[in-house]
Amino acid sequence: MFTKKRTLLFLTFMVILSLTLVACGATPAPTTATDEPTAPSSEKSITIVIAEDPPTFNPMVADTGYDSLVMELVLLGMADIDPNGNVFPELAAELPTVENGGVTIDEEAGTMSVTWTMRDDIQWSDSTPVTADDVLFTWAAISDPVNGLWIPGIDYIDSVEQLSKYSFVVNYNAVYPGYLTQFGGEQLAIWPAHYCNLEQGFVAWDCGREPLSDGPFVLHDWIEGDHMTFHKNDKYYLAPKPEIDQVIVQIVPDDAVRKTMMLNGDADIDMWINANTAKDLEGSEGAKVSLSPTDRWLMRLYINLAEKGTVDSAATPHPILSDVNVRKAIRSAIDVDTIVNEIFHGLATPHWTEFFRPPYQCAVPRPAFDPEAAKAALESAGWKDTDGDGVRECRGCTTGAPDGYKMEMEFITYAEFGEPLELTQQLIAEMLGEIGIQMNITVVEGSILWDQAENGGIEQSGNFDVDIWDDGYAGVDPTDYIWELYSEEALVPGGGNNVMRYDNPEVDALIDEAYTLDEASRKETFCKIADILNEDVPIVYLFTTPNLEAYSARLVGVQSSVNDLVTWNIADWTLK
Amino acid sequence: MTTYILRRLIQTVGLLFILSVILFTLVNAAPGGPITAYAGRRPRPEQVERLKRQFGLDQPLPLQYVYWLVGNDWTKIDTDGDGIQDEPGARKGILRGDFGFSYRTRQPVLDEIAKRLPNTVTLMGITMFVALAIAIPLGIYSAIKQYSLFDFFATTFSFAGQAVPEFWLGLLLIIVFYAWLKNPVTGEPLLPSGGISSLDGGFSLSDRLAHLVLPVLTGTLGWIAWYSRFLRSSLLEILPLNYLKSARARGLTERKVIFKHALSNAMIPIVTLIALDLPYIFTGAVLIESIFAWPGMGRLYYQAAVDRDYPLLLAVLIIGAAFIILCNLVADTLYAYLDPRVRYE
Repeated sequence: MFTKKRTLLFLTFMVILSLTLVACGATPAPTTATDEPTAPSSEKSITIVIAEDPPTFNPMVADTGYDSLVMELVLLGMADIDPNGNVFPELAAELPTVENGGVTIDEEAGTMSVTWTMRDDIQWSDSTPVTADDVLFTWAAISDPVNGLWIPGIDYIDSVEQLSKYSFVVNYNAVYPGYLTQFGGEQLAIWPAHYCNLEQGFVAWDCGREPLSDGPFVLHDWIEGDHMTFHKNDKYYLAPKPEIDQVIVQIVPDDAVRKTMMLNGDADIDMWINANTAKDLEGSEGAKVSLSPTDRWLMRLYINLAEKGTVDSAATPHPILSDVNVRKAIRSAIDVDTIVNEIFHGLATPHWTEFFRPPYQCAVPRPAFDPEAAKAALESAGWKDTDGDGVRECRGCTTGAPDGYKMEMEFITYAEFGEPLELTQQLIAEMLGEIGIQMNITVVEGSILWDQAENGGIEQSGNFDVDIWDDGYAGVDPTDYIWELYSEEALVPGGGNNVMRYDNPEVDALIDEAYTLDEASRKETFCKIADILNEDVPIVYLFTTPNLEAYSARLVGVQSSVNDLVTWNIADWTLK
Repeated sequence: MTTYILRRLIQTVGLLFILSVILFTLVNAAPGGPITAYAGRRPRPEQVERLKRQFGLDQPLPLQYVYWLVGNDWTKIDTDGDGIQDEPGARKGILRGDFGFSYRTRQPVLDEIAKRLPNTVTLMGITMFVALAIAIPLGIYSAIKQYSLFDFFATTFSFAGQAVPEFWLGLLLIIVFYAWLKNPVTGEPLLPSGGISSLDGGFSLSDRLAHLVLPVLTGTLGWIAWYSRFLRSSLLEILPLNYLKSARARGLTERKVIFKHALSNAMIPIVTLIALDLPYIFTGAVLIESIFAWPGMGRLYYQAAVDRDYPLLLAVLIIGAAFIILCNLVADTLYAYLDPRVRYE
């Protein structure tokens, strides 16, 4: 059966078959854009390593962050935001304001109109000029009831009208403070009307995967799951920028491998690294870490003021957490500095208010870490450990809990953040255990925590006591975010994000007042809200974590930003 | 035999139908829906409604299953959310080869699979071939030289091979062959850390082979241990049997006794095992593909699971299930072919 000759023949056949597979099988057809960009010089090529493929170049479709990363390479919006929160024009000739006449407000009707004037020297990579036609086309695609998508502030827009080849007006049915980045920012670009097929639909059109470029680079090829190559766009309006000729976006799923590539000098950017990786890169000659100058993600404890499994804090108050003194005691018992230093290696900043980002920074006094005061507050609130098991019981508490009710709660977080958050959760549970509150920890997937109530989403259905995760608003305008988080209208499951079921008419009135373009007035309003929240404690704010991006020492100009992806200023990057 | 195969094929259709119901129900019953994955952490209700319509999740689950199976081009649906079913659907259903579109990329699911499948077939096919090329001689020699020093080392190696986690071994190999060891001539890393080819150049066979070394090495270790242990045990059961003694008594050489008479019987369970492992060539290996940045089916499946990309997830599951059932049928048929004692009548 197995003669030498037959075995040899079989092995030869298998080797030939293997080589054929290697040669032919693993050659996916590349996606190539329609134009021919500049041939790159290998001397000015950089490699960005990311964990997964961007689904498309349209971040509105799947919002993975990787789509925004590559969108910034090839597409422009009307305006964008820098790391310090300053809005700057891209396609716009200047930013429309009340002062320059670009914004007109009808006080009586409570409406406003914003007139945008575009630059007339920007063209697509096929030499077609970028005009107001493209903006109106993009708006038509977004607002299409079948294939369109919801974008922030879309409900405030009544109409978008073209005024000339390079100008258009947006008519709002309210005063909308976030108007400057509504047609730009990290998520929305202006798409080419003559190239994209409206019939295919905004969410699925081919130009979302093979885009025409008006940005600094042009897509050359895309081998899915492996890499994308971009070449310098000769027709970029800020020519001779960019200095870099070629950008390779390489897909490397494992973070340890990405870190090794950074250390080995084979990668120039590794985005969204965690604190542990940043610590490992310390002292490396070839790799550096860029921190965002301001933070966005504020780690906090969401406290359910309604009884677990219910959604009405007035009708069914939480048996433990509906007492503000208990909430304050929890806040006093958490040593934020220890978490920041021990778990986040100092790469986090304690914050105790929602309003910590410029331009809306409020001077709220920092709550003291004082476990003894926390114990005393719980005693006064009628929570005592009379049976000596280390867990307090209700002995005269005012929340409506029956006598003897144990101070024991479920404490949830989400898995995707990774080890630092799970350690934080464990440490906080220990700290609260020290003052007699037993927290039983649970880790779930984010999609389960944040899903809709009808799908069993934990927060929306009120099926939690306390959970911990990082939240924050995109861009520089917090108004809608504050409304969705603290307003009475956002209490209803599915109506908003007020999963604490926090209801304070004074806060509701202040949120309404915040819908104005007067920045000073807005700041005053926000700071009043900050003071009230500091007293009511529907959320315990802990610390912020910056965006961390690893970059190679040969690269100059990289600046991490919480307002955008690291590639927000790639046209300005240079090589040493 | 033909009747048997036909009967099994008919049973396969029924089995696949039952499987499709179970898989569809299980995938949709998993907590955490696709909406939060595609509309941000906390989507607005308007956004949720629109996405549900686009994904077809606004229909009751049984109807979603019917649309997935046979399509919805025979009925009218509400595409714009005005409550009026005014447009005929565009889906043809999996029975007509339409597995829908990926929620993540909005591209046809089969296109997504077609881009990844050749890579996985290449990696897993070569891994299996290399594993067998090493495991078979290893198993034979271990059995012939039972309790020898070689057998001792082979046994130790096999246990180690099965015990070492792939993710650990993969990272270790990357550190050694990519980060530590350099090509003495060029100063470049001895082997690439991952990917299917180098990014700065055209096709080169040596480059492709260099990219295969580490993932294949990581993948083969477990399989070598698996197959060699089975073959060793199988041979050890057969070697003392009387028909081999009689073969030796007839004056056959030991080589002929082993390779012609013993191995042909010992290989029967191994061939079955190989047939049952063949589906890996389609489904890929998640860990190896992730560590070595290999754009294959394993990563595609994992990503689909994480992203709640139901159409893609279901397509990989149902095609994978069909492949497993088919490979079982092949294994059973081969068994009858290789072992004259087995007859399907």
